[in-house]
Amino acid sequence: MTTRKSSSKPRAAKPKAKPRVAAKAKASAPKAKKKTPKATPTVSVAPAPVAPEPVIEAPEPVTASVAAPIAAIADFVVDDDTELAVVQSDAELANLFIAEALDHLGTIEQKLLELDERPEDTSLLNDIFRPFHTVKGNASALGIVSVERVAHKVENLLDLARSGRIQVGETEVDLVLRAVDVLSLMINDVGQRLAGQPRKATGAEAVSLVQQVERLIAGQLEEGAAAAAAVMDTPEPVAVAAADEPAFEHDRRGATPSRRRDDVPMLAGTATAIKVDTRKLDNIVDVVGELIVVQSLIAQDPALSALVDGRLARNMAQLRRLTADLQRNSMALRMVPIRQAFQKVARVVRDQSRKAGKPIDLVITGEDTELDRKMVEEITDPLMHMARNSVDHGIEPPDAREATGKPARATVSLSAYYQGSHVIIEVKDDGAGLNTERILESARRKGLIAPDANPSPEDIHRLIFEPGFSTAAKVTEVSGRGVGMDVVRRNIESLRGRVDIRTEQGHGTTFLVRLPLTLAVLDGLLVRVGSERCVLPAAAVRESLRPKPEHVHFVQGQPRMVQVRESVLPLVSLGALLGMGAAAALDPSAATVVVVEEGGSRIGLVVEELLHKQEVVVKSLGDSFATVRGVAGGAILGDGRIGLILDPHGIVTMVREGSRRAA
Amino acid sequence: MSTHGTTGRFQREELVGKYLTFALGNEEYSVPVLKVREIIKIMDITAVPQVPEYVKGVVNLRGKVIPVVDLRLKFGFPAQDYTERTCIIVVEVALATGARMMGIIVDHVSEVLNVAAEQIEQTPEFGDEIQTDYMKGIAKVQGQVKILLDLDRVLGVDGTIAMPQPSAA
Repeated sequence: MTTRKSSSKPRAAKPKAKPRVAAKAKASAPKAKKKTPKATPTVSVAPAPVAPEPVIEAPEPVTASVAAPIAAIADFVVDDDTELAVVQSDAELANLFIAEALDHLGTIEQKLLELDERPEDTSLLNDIFRPFHTVKGNASALGIVSVERVAHKVENLLDLARSGRIQVGETEVDLVLRAVDVLSLMINDVGQRLAGQPRKATGAEAVSLVQQVERLIAGQLEEGAAAAAAVMDTPEPVAVAAADEPAFEHDRRGATPSRRRDDVPMLAGTATAIKVDTRKLDNIVDVVGELIVVQSLIAQDPALSALVDGRLARNMAQLRRLTADLQRNSMALRMVPIRQAFQKVARVVRDQSRKAGKPIDLVITGEDTELDRKMVEEITDPLMHMARNSVDHGIEPPDAREATGKPARATVSLSAYYQGSHVIIEVKDDGAGLNTERILESARRKGLIAPDANPSPEDIHRLIFEPGFSTAAKVTEVSGRGVGMDVVRRNIESLRGRVDIRTEQGHGTTFLVRLPLTLAVLDGLLVRVGSERCVLPAAAVRESLRPKPEHVHFVQGQPRMVQVRESVLPLVSLGALLGMGAAAALDPSAATVVVVEEGGSRIGLVVEELLHKQEVVVKSLGDSFATVRGVAGGAILGDGRIGLILDPHGIVTMVREGSRRAA
Repeated sequence: MSTHGTTGRFQREELVGKYLTFALGNEEYSVPVLKVREIIKIMDITAVPQVPEYVKGVVNLRGKVIPVVDLRLKFGFPAQDYTERTCIIVVEVALATGARMMGIIVDHVSEVLNVAAEQIEQTPEFGDEIQTDYMKGIAKVQGQVKILLDLDRVLGVDGTIAMPQPSAA
């Protein structure tokens, strides 16, 4: 079977009548050609007398509902107010349910993706069934009827699959994945309604889902025409045929171990973990931050330092050590593995590869790399977008790949690892690479750069992060609207991170995302700007100096450049740039110049005074100041006052834009 | 700016309750006591660049960073030096993005007042010059008029501190 045009592949060619009857037979099915059974509406020849496996939770009697007609819409229109009232009567329990259910759905999604790779592994079906059953049971106990009903239907399907009465292929996995999406939506909606938001219309989706499930069950059990109908309802699985080729078998193997590995820590982790409301964690971090401030206030108290007492000094030192320890530990509370984000990306790659008809292997490494919980949440969307871009734009269609001598099956790899106090996340594809000329041409056409400008290839590649840039010939559902990569960059920068591109035409593109381990602590350099003290992230500061007057160069009467050894750097008054203090007239040779490097460019920032280095706890200034540029947050300083944490990248960008405007 | 929005929102019964009153110049304003988290003396405020003049900056309230708005400036009163009596009232406001603590600087805090239904009146129509969106109504107490503020409107539109222009326009 070497057919590659999968969409036009006649279904009749599939080994439809595989005599897969009982679960046992299924488990022993040959492991080779894993994807073969996928999307094949394989039908059990003898559906009835199956000895089901011993079941842990007593399942509902499924046979009854199987025979039931297609779901009536009325069954799924639940009286809103009753349900809401039930939930509101114990909001705390409901919130717990929501958190837990979403957690379970996450697990289910992950297992489904594994099942997609290894449909013959029946233990996965159990792993999916159990949390599903729990979600359903909890929903029912709480009286969230809408969720319970949908979950129940899907559970039926899973139970039938578990007992081997229906075959699990791509269609089934797709459907259950959709069910996970719909249920997540519905459960999130419960939370929203608890918080007083209006109800979202999820009913129609739920009904269509349930109908599909029922049709699928009916079709699988009855064979024949009904089966075909069920298949037609789900998106055409395009990426199948190529999988039949044994030639790429080893590629798939490469992806498998990385998935297997994460089973172990997951199990080990759950045994000793408890669920804690994240607000409680944040409160601890807040209080510990305060404790540190008070501790240093006391330690530096003149009255105390006047005392010379060995025991007091020892105890003070002990106190300092313990508070520092406490701070480190409380920070560690917020660290979680990046797995959750990677899982979402895996899902996107899977869906997108189907949609685009490009068979892809996803290789994941380093999913246990820990970083700040908030960071994991915030990085998920940008990663998903980059992965989508790789699949959509980066990877060529299979025939084009073969024409250039590459395997038809593309590889997208996703990896995370530590580098110093940073985490590097790579999204890598072996696609066509960025087309430098096309980007340049498109940027010129859109006026993103001057027509006579001659930027370096690196600068050209960075243009894809400019707002309004898109080279996609056609607008697809996910990319090509020119929004996206600029949002990706902005999101990453707002996490104090950076994104770089490495690309080689014909060989692929790698997006390198560099993030700080945590947003919570920062090694900072305190500087005085006007009457305020500000914190510059030490990582961005190269050096500080007081330039000799002859090294300061004037442009139009303003000190605009400073010579630092061989190089001449732009000179910017920090106060004037941000709009703080009257620092515009500051004489650089009387003040201090801090050299900041960001994204390869260096600038000299003129500040009134360099104070000292300090590790600070980073606080967000809140949404109220979301539009303020050049400022990344606030830090509570030793005296309890707040110092603004500056954002070197934002500052460099402001300087660049300022000179562009002037030009 | 018409005041029909106010008319639609006016619900006398909802406004009954305890209020914290404070002074701005010669005028008396009030906010529901339930919205008030605490009252602190004026303290050092860290200025934040690129914000409207009435946003004085941020302060550290026991480990939390909260924005502070000078209500005098917000409502278009002339600026005035802070005194011993100047206070920051820390309130909880509901913004589009969720509940948020914020500080408002007032000349001085007056008293906590029980406002009964019969004391509450709808904000009168002032014509176009004065925006009444942020007034829930007025209370007449012992011959004095107290303006019942809608803090969520005063302090936040779209979750940012970019607020509608004050009445002084």
